[in-house]
Amino acid sequence: MSLVPGLGIARGMALTLHRFFEPKVTIKYPEVRLDVPHKFRGRLQLLYDEYGTLKCETCFQCAQACPIECIDMGGMDTRGRYHVHWGAPETYGERREESALRRSGRPVPDPAYLRFAAVDIARVDAVLEEYDHDPARMLEILDATQAAYGYLPVAALKRISHRTGAPYAMIYGAASYYAHLRFEPAEATEQAAAVLAHRPAEASYLAAFDAALEGRA
Amino acid sequence: MTAISRSWSRLTLPGKVIFTALPLLAVLTVGLVVAVALLGGLLVDLAAANLEVVRFLVAATAILVMTIPTAFLIIYMEMKIIAQMNLRIGPDRVGPAGSALSVVHGLKVLMKEDFTPTGADPIVFTWAPVVTYLAAVMTLLVIPFAPGFFGQDLNLALLYFFAIGGLSVVGLLMAGWASYNKYSLLGGLRAAAQVVSYEIPLTLSVVGLILLAGTMSLNTIVTNQSGWFTSWYIFRQPLGALIFMIAAAAEANRTPFDLTEADSEIVAGFATEYSGMRFGFFFFAEYVNVFIVSALAVTLFFGGWNAPFPWPWPIDVSQLDPGSLGIGLLFAFLVIPPLLTLAFAAPLWVASSRIKGWQALLGGFALANLFLIAILAAIAYAGIDWVAGLLWFLGKSYVFVFVFVWLRGTLPRVRVDQLMDFAWKWLLPAALLNLFVTAAAIVITT
Repeated sequence: MSLVPGLGIARGMALTLHRFFEPKVTIKYPEVRLDVPHKFRGRLQLLYDEYGTLKCETCFQCAQACPIECIDMGGMDTRGRYHVHWGAPETYGERREESALRRSGRPVPDPAYLRFAAVDIARVDAVLEEYDHDPARMLEILDATQAAYGYLPVAALKRISHRTGAPYAMIYGAASYYAHLRFEPAEATEQAAAVLAHRPAEASYLAAFDAALEGRA
Repeated sequence: MTAISRSWSRLTLPGKVIFTALPLLAVLTVGLVVAVALLGGLLVDLAAANLEVVRFLVAATAILVMTIPTAFLIIYMEMKIIAQMNLRIGPDRVGPAGSALSVVHGLKVLMKEDFTPTGADPIVFTWAPVVTYLAAVMTLLVIPFAPGFFGQDLNLALLYFFAIGGLSVVGLLMAGWASYNKYSLLGGLRAAAQVVSYEIPLTLSVVGLILLAGTMSLNTIVTNQSGWFTSWYIFRQPLGALIFMIAAAAEANRTPFDLTEADSEIVAGFATEYSGMRFGFFFFAEYVNVFIVSALAVTLFFGGWNAPFPWPWPIDVSQLDPGSLGIGLLFAFLVIPPLLTLAFAAPLWVASSRIKGWQALLGGFALANLFLIAILAAIAYAGIDWVAGLLWFLGKSYVFVFVFVWLRGTLPRVRVDQLMDFAWKWLLPAALLNLFVTAAAIVITT
């Protein structure tokens, strides 16, 4: 058949003529937008900057915006001091078995989380009961929680978030804004104050230095 | 004095020009009227005495003006049809269904810088697009568009057509040579090689037809094919028509033979250094060539302006004399439009209770107008032979324009060696075979 000259041309012409009458695939984008399929989920991806570090600052905004709450995440806060979380407890990456995570290709949890000890939840529950689980009185709740524990444990903040319904990121943001609220036991800061107290009185040293330079500068 | 000078200083530059030119224009208009009044009769006598000169001037102007919308239309057809064949929508923004896009393209080309490269020969460089364009346009002078609608009925029309069409090679070579650019020169030489090679089978393919028709006058060739479509020359010269179409595609630089400016591969060949409207003329000439080649194919092989069947009910328009109705004509003008409007509005009114009375009247008015226009068009078609002829000629020509665009949407480009091989090893022997067989048949039958 292929030896017949011009047959290929004729078949090509028939194809293009057929295409000519077929419905067109162009979508006039700004005026017409395709409907997103109901089950469309997209693909979540963390981006890296030009230095190869993750751009994610663990701000939880994506997790807050997610309509179906499929995002769970954990990481260090922006000062690199505290471990913060988003998501239902059973979906924490950190709570999963490490080998299972490796097999699934997900990031392996940060062992640093292990140093966070369990705290007595009853005390924060009592505080929440006293303030009627009202997220509008968050500052009072946080003050009372700090008074109960001496600081704001992560587990207590998670408990407040779950019970009041306020997003964890908002509680964390509010707690990190006020200088008198702290996320670590007072001993840590007290130790730093004690070290500072043991140092030679810097002010008197500087005053003596100035006196020695008097008239020569 | 100060008021006048202040007013003058407040005019913009165009305002000053117009203010100065207006009295001049008035004087010229009065002069023209006086001149027509005094010399009008003399001028009419002069024109009547030199009717051939007047005819030439009118035909040349008409054809030059006609090429521009033709090129616009074919460029639009090409964009739209190839888009549809690619399952795209194509142009749809400017004008109805994007039909004004080629006009916008033309304006864009007009506004671009008209650049002449350093070292180029400015005279030859400037005249090359003119030669190419005029070679295309001048061939239209001998094509019969309709009975009585042709520039000149030469008895050597076909020879004239190929001779003038061959001039376009000169334009291509001028463009390549004057650009002072070795790539342009190579492109021009390649274009010349292609066009000259394909001119030989193109010309030889119609020699058999000339033997059959016994004339080279295109008008006579068309009148020879009148009557039923079976008298078209395609049925007596099928091989000639095939060779003609292939060689014509190469002659008009169309796919699959568009190597002269293969826009997806090379930098426009001979037109590399051209920009602005000079490039626009090459571009225009290409699309005018498509129309010319289609028109010549229709003229030679597909009956020209003849309908494919004889019209069974000829109406003699001269017998229709509306003036004989006298005062009845005035009465008809008064009565027929409202009656027709009511007649067409009634079914709309009856059809659906949702159509309001004024809507039905409006629709009836529109339908009545369409009906009257259709009747007038039908009378013009049946009674005025050049209307029917022009419609058939343009319709057939644009069918072939569609075929050329269709080919472009389908076929890939040939290689340069395949191009030359095909012209010299296949088309030329086939054209000679066609010529000898036709000649032998004529000798045997007479």
